[in-house]
Amino acid sequence: MPEASQATSRRTPPLPDEAAVIARAADGDRMAFTQLMEHYQSACYGLAWRLLGDPDQAADATQDAFVHAYRAIRSYRGGIFRSWLMRITANASYDILRRAQRRPASPLPDPDEGGVELPDISAASPLEEATRSDMYGHLEAALRLLPHDQRTAVVLCDVYGMDYNEVAAMTDSALGTVKSRIHRGRLRLRDMLAEHRELFIR
Amino acid sequence: MLNSNHPDDERLSALAAADPDASADASLTAHVGGCERCADVVRELGFLRSALSDMPDVAPPRPLRLLPPVEADAVSGPDRLGLWARRLFAPALTAGAALAMVGVVGTALPGLGGMASSGGQDAFSDASEAAEAANVADDFDAEDAAGGTELEFSAPSGDAAGGGGEDGEATTLGADEAEEQRTAAEEAGRTDALQSERSPWPMVLFSGVALMIAAALLRWILVPRAG
Repeated sequence: MPEASQATSRRTPPLPDEAAVIARAADGDRMAFTQLMEHYQSACYGLAWRLLGDPDQAADATQDAFVHAYRAIRSYRGGIFRSWLMRITANASYDILRRAQRRPASPLPDPDEGGVELPDISAASPLEEATRSDMYGHLEAALRLLPHDQRTAVVLCDVYGMDYNEVAAMTDSALGTVKSRIHRGRLRLRDMLAEHRELFIR
Repeated sequence: MLNSNHPDDERLSALAAADPDASADASLTAHVGGCERCADVVRELGFLRSALSDMPDVAPPRPLRLLPPVEADAVSGPDRLGLWARRLFAPALTAGAALAMVGVVGTALPGLGGMASSGGQDAFSDASEAAEAANVADDFDAEDAAGGTELEFSAPSGDAAGGGGEDGEATTLGADEAEEQRTAAEEAGRTDALQSERSPWPMVLFSGVALMIAAALLRWILVPRAG
């Protein structure tokens, strides 16, 4: 439902000869597959990290996604490859999230309450790209402070452009629940970022 | 801040995302058109969405394994069988080829036939079997001779067959003849084993070939083929 992101400058663009590389990978060319994953690994890792909030889990989820992609690339039927890979990565991340939730020993950070003081995000190592801009830095930090069901919904829908139905299917949630999470998450982000409003009004 | 006249903020979020149901809600759009506060919320949420949709990718903090190992293909039960078939194929083929080679060399050089340890073992047991048989014959002959019966049926030599006279003489003859027969049997056993047709080499050759065929067959059946 949300339109495809119009500005692609800060995101990995498609490979110049992507269709040919995909075709070779689908024919079992492991070098071609490696080339694709190398190209998109930051995109995959970014999604996993935003969903999971933990660098190690995110790296695991990304590698899981590569394994899934390797098995599934034969059945890839056109469309935007990045979106296809993002769906696989989101599923792999959500699998890890589900497993983590089933084990109460390692609960996910869920900072539901408390002040919305932004942490020093420059200390977080995977954020080098994000810290290039104050706006993205604040946005990243605010996302991490969302309750994780809202964060998941906002990340999948607003950051990665999946539609409500996809998000509902991926998170085993009702459509209305997903919409409500997204709306509440957005409003919460807006409140958190109120003092940096000038960065967002362009 | 929240005024009962304002629509729910979630509706404003839906409008900011241009959700069809919100965009088609005339009373909602009319309110936002005339309410500065709600118009601001929609505008800010629109900016927020735009910023979210443009968030940069994040480089992984450590190198990731981009390509799953080949084993990743085989995780399910039947695939694991295939994996084992693939792993064992080369060693089994090599072992089979080596066995077959040894078998061929052994068969081709007849001089090696009796030198194999198993061949020697055979010769030994053959000889002792023959000796055993001679002992039995010995007892039997002596009894018969003592009974004064002719030795025709058990004596291989004409000498012994003719010696059916007096009791004592017959006994001696029988014993002598049995002794002779035993040594002859032992001798025969030994030569028999030396020229035995049960040489191990064809068997080795056969096992090697069988091993190679089995390995190839298993691999062909169990390893999933591409395409």
